[in-house]
Amino acid sequence: MNLALTWRLLKGGGRRGMLGTWLTLAAVAVATGLLLFAVAANFAFHDRGERGAWRNPVPVESGGVAVEATRRDFVRDQAITVVDLATLGGEAPAPPSGLPRFPRPGEVWLSPALSELAAELPPEQLAARFPRPAGVLGDEALVYPGELVAVVGRAPDDPAMKPGSAEDAMFGLAPGRVASLAGTPSRDATSYQALAVVAGVLMVVPLLVFGGAAARLTVARRDQRLAALRLIGATPGQVVGMTVAEALIVALAGAVTGTVAYVLAAPLLARIEMQGGPWFTADVFPPLWVFAAVLVAVPLLVGLSAVVGLRRVVVSPLGVAKRETPPGLRAVRVVALLVVLIGFPLLSRKADVVVIGTALAVAFLCVNLVGPWVVSLIGRITARAARGPARLLAGRRLVDDPRAAWRTVSGVALTGFVAGFVGLLSPALDQAPAGPHELRVEASAGQVEQVVTQARERLKEAGLTATVKPEDSVVIATVGGAADDATVDRARTALAGLVPGRTPTSFRDDMRSAEQLFSDVQVGTIVVLAVSFLVAVTSSGITAMSSVLDRRQTYGLLRLAGTPLELLDRARRAETLIPLTVMGGGAILVGAFCALPFVLGSMSPVGVVTLGGCVVVGFAGVIGAGALSRPLLRAVTEDPAPRPD
Amino acid sequence: MNDVLVGRAMKKSFGQTVALGGVDIAIQAGEALAIMGPSGSGKSTLLHCLAGIMKPDAGEVHLQGQRIDAMGERKRSELRRTRFGFVFQFGQLLPELPAEENVALPLMLGGVPRTQAVRQAREWFGPLGLQSMETRRPGELSGGQAQRVAIARALVSKPAVVFADEPTGALDQRTGHDTMRLLVEATKHNGASLIVVTHDPNVAGWCDRTVEVRDGQLVSGVAA
Repeated sequence: MNLALTWRLLKGGGRRGMLGTWLTLAAVAVATGLLLFAVAANFAFHDRGERGAWRNPVPVESGGVAVEATRRDFVRDQAITVVDLATLGGEAPAPPSGLPRFPRPGEVWLSPALSELAAELPPEQLAARFPRPAGVLGDEALVYPGELVAVVGRAPDDPAMKPGSAEDAMFGLAPGRVASLAGTPSRDATSYQALAVVAGVLMVVPLLVFGGAAARLTVARRDQRLAALRLIGATPGQVVGMTVAEALIVALAGAVTGTVAYVLAAPLLARIEMQGGPWFTADVFPPLWVFAAVLVAVPLLVGLSAVVGLRRVVVSPLGVAKRETPPGLRAVRVVALLVVLIGFPLLSRKADVVVIGTALAVAFLCVNLVGPWVVSLIGRITARAARGPARLLAGRRLVDDPRAAWRTVSGVALTGFVAGFVGLLSPALDQAPAGPHELRVEASAGQVEQVVTQARERLKEAGLTATVKPEDSVVIATVGGAADDATVDRARTALAGLVPGRTPTSFRDDMRSAEQLFSDVQVGTIVVLAVSFLVAVTSSGITAMSSVLDRRQTYGLLRLAGTPLELLDRARRAETLIPLTVMGGGAILVGAFCALPFVLGSMSPVGVVTLGGCVVVGFAGVIGAGALSRPLLRAVTEDPAPRPD
Repeated sequence: MNDVLVGRAMKKSFGQTVALGGVDIAIQAGEALAIMGPSGSGKSTLLHCLAGIMKPDAGEVHLQGQRIDAMGERKRSELRRTRFGFVFQFGQLLPELPAEENVALPLMLGGVPRTQAVRQAREWFGPLGLQSMETRRPGELSGGQAQRVAIARALVSKPAVVFADEPTGALDQRTGHDTMRLLVEATKHNGASLIVVTHDPNVAGWCDRTVEVRDGQLVSGVAA
């Protein structure tokens, strides 16, 4: 009976009722799509880590069936991952997925992109470094599409496979005995996974708040009606049942829409470059059970928020019908935030990622808890200080329903928290020095002079003008003149294998992994902020429209009594901008404060610029989204005879 | 003749439905006029046209000799804010504002500083029997008290005409009786004219004159 009545009320909501329903549906769809993105990102990093695990061998103390080493080589401005493999005489270990068979000594397997590049460039620039290509690696062996990887088969007594060579953490792993090629996700991969968890928390919390706000949209439009139902004798259970049923119907439709939108957008999302390349489309598709869980969890969350939102109606049917002064919000909310803020500096960079993620989520939720209380306080101050009607109306409305105002600004405030947090974490990067190109390679003790001589000969044979000199145990080849990338690659090729197991690298190459990390943090920051802003702006736009619908009777009467539309708009703007300024700024400071334990050294100018940009974009987005509801305001106030619904 | 508000040959249609079919009407200064008629007869449309809320499709409306139906929306808004007052059946008070600020709002909209507007607004509470209700919010007032606050708000800016649409429709008979008495007395005391739309003969009985609208036509004019 309840369901049938709910469906009837939902369908019979009229044009504006349906508009509200569509707004809720759109809000849930956006929240679902972005939630899937946040969750999928974690699975995507996990999958990458697993696919690259075979290049990160787990050495064994004794025994073992093979020797494995990894190093970095370079061509143009791209890194090549070179994996050297040798069996120890017995049966070759099972090759990793994507490598058809364990390479024989001298054989080279190239990734498709490296194979194409080797064919494209003159041999003396690249192909000569990998003289006996045996085949092409499959995608399963690659971290990302387009990755440059070479697997080189060697004899176990090859100097390059000599165990005990100095490890060069920046460019790979020294040769070591392994029992299998299963490996384990690299330190880099696990770091990225940890960062993805943090980014996920930063994105998911605003989404949960947004999801809750979407539910409140439904309730805000229904509370009068449901209060009336309570007045005529509907039981709290019936009222709750109808609310949940309506919220679930709309939320399920929204969740399905969001899921479809995510699936359609997945190929585009896969183009976002991280760790040096884009993603396989399959990476950004989480397992099916995740889709199923989201499709169940989102409607449940919305239903739960709807129930919480209706608490006042259920407890006191006259509470909504009579519009009494709402009870003040308790200052205990502020105490909760203070406790978290005091506790946060106790965390350190060494804290477990789960602890950091949880603490971050709690801090986030506390900001959300304190938000309405602060909005209410701001409302009181604004109303007391107001001289004109616009500010008076804005202030009084903030006091009347601080939660509604918070819903409008919470997105940007929480984004401010994200911006404050990640803004400070953006690392600063040293600039590469200008000057001639130098390639450096470390030689073993006692072999420096021999390596210098060989380097000179090889470069001369390659027709390159270069000076070679030792500096302690490092041999430095300075390529003469205005050497371009092609010349440098010729020099790299000429010097390949000069010191077994080592690659000659330039300062730029040394910087490349730092540059990569820098670029990834920037991309990650931008992605997190883009998601947060999308949530914030959509949230403010939808809340502003919902607010116009909810207050259409008030607005209609005000216009009827001669209040200019501009003044109503000014009041609405003030209602948003005043708490936005205070809360957005406050949230940025809280976010920055929470980031302090993790900031390495001084603050980065890029981070500060990102932060400033966020403030500008956030304000512009909210004002713009609010302005979109102006035509709706005009339309609803043109009704000359407003009546209560 | 000292006509404050005059409507001539007013016509208004909504699609195929004729709400006003050429109505002539005039109200004198200080007069209380009741417009009666069954639901859908066109009485609310007549009130909206006279108040400048909507424009008639044809005909003219004059306020103290000034034609108002030809004005733009901005001018008519200003006119409604400064020369007219409104009392309605439902929700005319802003739920967020305390009673005194509800009354002060029209003055503030007209540019009067807040402290002065609130001081002027408070002066209305005693005569209307609303002592100590100044800081209460609409939800904390009874129906009759809320209507008296609405009357204060309609009169605070010294309008020429007060429009009341079913002002006692949501009240019981006794409260409705008291509210009408206060509305008529306060309006006349301020030298304003009053136009009341109602379907209740008891409410109309408080007015100097009653006109009846049927199918968009004025069918009778009865002096009280």
